[in-house]
Amino acid sequence: MSPGKRFAEPVATVPLAPAGARRRAVGDFLARLPPAARLALLLLLAAVAASALAPWIAPFSPIEIFVGSPLEPPSLVHLLGTDTLGRDVLSRVLYGGRTALLMSGSAAALTVLVGGGLGLVLGYSGGLVDEIGMRVLEIVASIPSVILALLVVGALGPSIPVVIVTVGLLAVPSSTRVVRAAALAFVAEDFVLAAKARGESRFAIAWHEILPNVAGTLLVEFAIRTGWAVILIGALAFLGFGAPPPTPDWGAMINEGRGALDASIWPVVAPALAIAALVLTVNVLTDGIARALGPAR
Amino acid sequence: MAEVASRLSGADPVLRLVLRRILLSLVSFFVISAVIFAAVEILPGDTAQRALGREATAESVAILRNEMGLHDPAIVRYGRWLGNVVKGDLGVSMVSKRPVADTLAQPLRHTFLLGALVLAIHIPLSLFIGVSCALTRDGPLDLALSALVLVAMSVPDFVIGIFLIVVFSVELGWLPPLALIDQANSWTEALWMLVLPVLALNAAMTAYVVRQTRDSMIEVLNSDFVRVARLRGLPPVRILLSHALPSALGPAINAIALNAAWLVGGIVVVEAVFNYPGLGRLLVEGVRFHDVPIIQAIALILSGTHVALNLAADIATTLLSPKLRTQTS
Repeated sequence: MSPGKRFAEPVATVPLAPAGARRRAVGDFLARLPPAARLALLLLLAAVAASALAPWIAPFSPIEIFVGSPLEPPSLVHLLGTDTLGRDVLSRVLYGGRTALLMSGSAAALTVLVGGGLGLVLGYSGGLVDEIGMRVLEIVASIPSVILALLVVGALGPSIPVVIVTVGLLAVPSSTRVVRAAALAFVAEDFVLAAKARGESRFAIAWHEILPNVAGTLLVEFAIRTGWAVILIGALAFLGFGAPPPTPDWGAMINEGRGALDASIWPVVAPALAIAALVLTVNVLTDGIARALGPAR
Repeated sequence: MAEVASRLSGADPVLRLVLRRILLSLVSFFVISAVIFAAVEILPGDTAQRALGREATAESVAILRNEMGLHDPAIVRYGRWLGNVVKGDLGVSMVSKRPVADTLAQPLRHTFLLGALVLAIHIPLSLFIGVSCALTRDGPLDLALSALVLVAMSVPDFVIGIFLIVVFSVELGWLPPLALIDQANSWTEALWMLVLPVLALNAAMTAYVVRQTRDSMIEVLNSDFVRVARLRGLPPVRILLSHALPSALGPAINAIALNAAWLVGGIVVVEAVFNYPGLGRLLVEGVRFHDVPIIQAIALILSGTHVALNLAADIATTLLSPKLRTQTS
């Protein structure tokens, strides 16, 4: 053995404390979040609130055209100006938040549901099932996600459900890998062996013994996948394969306003800032959650 | 004696591991070709109908279906397609009616040029920033760069591209907003057009390598052998260049190769931002017009490159890490 490992082993899992401490109070968890992450959480809640309340706080309809003249600069009536069709940019950005949060949240939930389930099964099964499953996922993961997403969404025709399912399933291989690694850390633990000795079924062991211990990993994975989904869904919409028009969508807004940048930058800059801020917020929060749950580094 | 023996037995598993990885990559490439074929051909919509448009009579669709051999089962068509690809025949574009190979030649060169330029800047730049961060660990430079890196990592590549256009083309008027290098009159004009796309891709990629380089460099700087070198009174520059850097390079090279693989997808989106006449733009157009042979060929080329670069990352890691271990023990 060489003295002192030069490269730290990758941390495969973010285990929660066993048994009694499992149901940790939410307040306790919040207290352990780094300040930046707490700020990010606050901002994210504000974004969720703003898009949920869009029908009440948005000054105009997001899809009604010529509520102002085309490409008006920001004014007191239209705080972020108007787009090429004279629609209110602020209203479209607010409603676009709904599209972004709902689509990426659903996609990430799908990823964690399928990837988490597969990861638990593969991790607990081991052997040939595990080997074959991981190979198949590895191969699927080796196609660049933008390209595979383009092919599938292009073939099926862009619609909100198609985009959610495609983006959600595309991230399954990497989620499976992470959850499987986390689950593997527990399959040889005493409490799992004890459950096995009691004659509990595989499903019961995966559900009652392993799942609670990988809950932290699942939460972090959900956060990571949400940020990733915002980017990929935004890119697809930008390329013209997102929610069909006139649905207010940040990626699509950037694409639509591109041709008129010389006349007004606001129809492009506002959604671009929104998408950048959302991903940054989610990433800072993810980082904080991982730190709060993981061992001190 | 014992050392020689351990080296001999040590070399063999590494070689076997590398061969195994190459074989696996070939298998994935075949499976990928099948996935691409399936995604484009088996999913809904009739290729012949799409090629002729909605107005086409049932008769002409039937004739084209026959010509295209669409009556054969999917597996037969897949075999025929793959056989043709291996022979170098990529088919004929359904939109331009030109051979796909001819249509792709120019965009392929453009995309390769863009990718090569991006990497030529990416590799030295991100290594330099990463090492600088490690040397000034937790100092103002390190903190500022780390924060910048986190921001750059969060902003999607196409959004970075848009911001660059807004600032440098629309507001300042320094650089062209579109990179139509096929319409450039001179080399310098073409190069000028490439500045923003190269910047956008670099901004998106740098973060990851900087992080990896910084972290592995910090570990190496804290390791015993660098400490010994310092105690021996070697000049800091020499410790850095001939001791620390070579050891810290392993994870950095892996990160660079993974980044190059990421670039394959990133380039598709960024080409669309700047209307760059490369494979990415052609792919997006192909998907829009359901030009199946074009889509299949480009997806195959890009995915193949992606697999090859991931393979390179794996092999680099495999070859570099045992060497690092034997050096330190």
